[in-house]
Amino acid sequence: MTVSKKVVLAPMDPVHDIGLKMIRRALNEAGHQTWLYPPDYSAQEIINAIIEHKADTVLVSRTLGYGVEELLARFVDLLDAAGLREKIRVAVGGMAIRPEFAAELGFDAGFGPGTTVEEAVAFVEGREYTLAEYATQKKRYDLTSDYHYTFHHANIKKLLDQIAGQILSWSQGKSSPGIGRALLRQAIIEENQAGKDAASLKKEYARLCDEVISNYYTKGTLHPQTRRLEKSELDALSDYLKLTNSRMRAIDLRHTRSKPAVFVQYGTGCPSLDIGHIKVAEAWGADGVVHFDPSWGARTEGFMEGYQTHQEDGSVITPENLQCIKSSLLDTTLWQVRAHRGVNTPETVVLAANAGADLTKINIVYGSLGGGTDPERLLVDGVQSIKFAAGYNMPFDVVTNEELSGVPAHKAFAGMLIVANLALQLGAQPILQPLFCNSPEVMINGYMNDNYIDFNIAKILALREIVDAPIWPGAPIGFLTQTEERVQSSVSTCLHAALAASCGVEAISIASSDEAYSGGPIAAASRVDTLKAVKESFRFLGKAKIAPTEQAAQWSQEILSGIEKVLAQVAQEGDFAQSLYKGLLGTREDGAYPGRAGRGTVYKVHA
Amino acid sequence: MAHCLDSIIDALDVETFVVAKDENEAKEVIKKIMTEMGLKDIDVVYCQHLGPGARVRARGYIFRAGDKYGWLKGADGK
Repeated sequence: MTVSKKVVLAPMDPVHDIGLKMIRRALNEAGHQTWLYPPDYSAQEIINAIIEHKADTVLVSRTLGYGVEELLARFVDLLDAAGLREKIRVAVGGMAIRPEFAAELGFDAGFGPGTTVEEAVAFVEGREYTLAEYATQKKRYDLTSDYHYTFHHANIKKLLDQIAGQILSWSQGKSSPGIGRALLRQAIIEENQAGKDAASLKKEYARLCDEVISNYYTKGTLHPQTRRLEKSELDALSDYLKLTNSRMRAIDLRHTRSKPAVFVQYGTGCPSLDIGHIKVAEAWGADGVVHFDPSWGARTEGFMEGYQTHQEDGSVITPENLQCIKSSLLDTTLWQVRAHRGVNTPETVVLAANAGADLTKINIVYGSLGGGTDPERLLVDGVQSIKFAAGYNMPFDVVTNEELSGVPAHKAFAGMLIVANLALQLGAQPILQPLFCNSPEVMINGYMNDNYIDFNIAKILALREIVDAPIWPGAPIGFLTQTEERVQSSVSTCLHAALAASCGVEAISIASSDEAYSGGPIAAASRVDTLKAVKESFRFLGKAKIAPTEQAAQWSQEILSGIEKVLAQVAQEGDFAQSLYKGLLGTREDGAYPGRAGRGTVYKVHA
Repeated sequence: MAHCLDSIIDALDVETFVVAKDENEAKEVIKKIMTEMGLKDIDVVYCQHLGPGARVRARGYIFRAGDKYGWLKGADGK
């Protein structure tokens, strides 16, 4: 039990004493005796008070910077002259104070900006203050457990079920090299876990890869843009992680709200630099991180193995790279490995789950119309990927990035709902990922000429009118509203974060303040910019809400009826792959082009 | 650590306000400053000129993906 202390608190400042008032309240609650003096007492008057009350601790404060050194030095001199300095503990706090400055002047402690009340109490009680002691106990998010996936719109549900039936029937008895590799990868993992040699499986795997990847298995050569990480680099990374994790604490960005979870995207190219960025993001409050792989990874059949660094944007997916990144994460950090758009979608789900990922990303429609993969191929692969995700109990988001190509929201949402409902039929847990963005559709129609609020809220209202499902706006929020100027970029991101929080969504993905800078890689400091801004926006918003204009409800209804119309057309077409080729979910005029990667590779399997 | 720049995780940004007649002049000035500071892999991330000069942010990459990062050196400095 802490011994009760006698504490004199005195603001050595003309007006400011709020900090000492807060500390006094905490000290009183902790059972200590306190005497708080009004601002601008002289040093001698404070010393008289210390003597009068037989105080064992004195806390003085100073906010103004001018004359601070002389004033505080004189106070310490007077304590010395009165024979008190060795008998009592003395600390100074305030905006003008820095710990090293206080120590130079002879104080036992100095509390600068950002000091917590608990820190001052710990000083009074003679305890060592540890950051973790007062850190908010951060929870690990579960993005799907609060949802029942109940559909509220009977006709939309009916159409979605009809389309899901068509997809499942069409994909029956079909396979692809991507599915073949995913199944082989599962077998390789099982062999490795059993301590057996998987050489013959890898030989078979190599036969299903493009030449550049096949060469890795047959000749030991790497993709030209990658190199192996050396043992010394991996050892140094391990040392760095041990040191960094020993001083990490997870802070909570949300203030009084319980959601949204805040995700940050990484993909510097190098697992070591990724980990450097991830630790920065975690320290500044990110709840989750999203793995970005190179764009060529989506169009190249097969994955290599080993610890590899890539010298351009996007970090190469290999079993070892993923495990390395997983090993760096705090227990509270959610980890998503995207599988959504390419010819390696099924295997990415397998590798992600086996590396310990919490989430993946699958969207057959976006990957086919905006991601460059042949619709038929991604439909076969996507169905199997969803089955894998269901089997691994790994939720995934269904992103509508085709909006960035120019596809109207209602068409993109129809595609998202088709994939989400298909996932439900297959026992998976989909998360809806509408964009909060200034998309081409928005620009052309002037939906955001007045504000960035109404159309984004309209999207959420429309989705909620259809189904009770988790919503995770992305990716990132505020896309195409940010500029290269970091204050503007951070403000735009944080206002969109506040809007998302106000809507009560489950999660958000945020950009760095380098979002609009295309001249080089994202810098770690720019991640701090937006995480700090988002924290401040949540502090500003608290549990209050942002009110849209009447326009939001009107646009919501337009999106809803647009979705219903598109679904009716797709259902009537009867062949979902053909619906994609024919543009029912996004035309060439909209900016959607059926992809070519993997075209002609779907084959029938014999029972 | 052999060099203080080894502590920088990836890039060093320099932000200031440059008195200049236009954006191009401001960019030239900030690039010259970065070069004189000994930075090699430089770029101007942001530059906006209004009235007396330009608000600028320049960047010097110390480490890019795939480099051997100074902050990852082991305790023996290797």
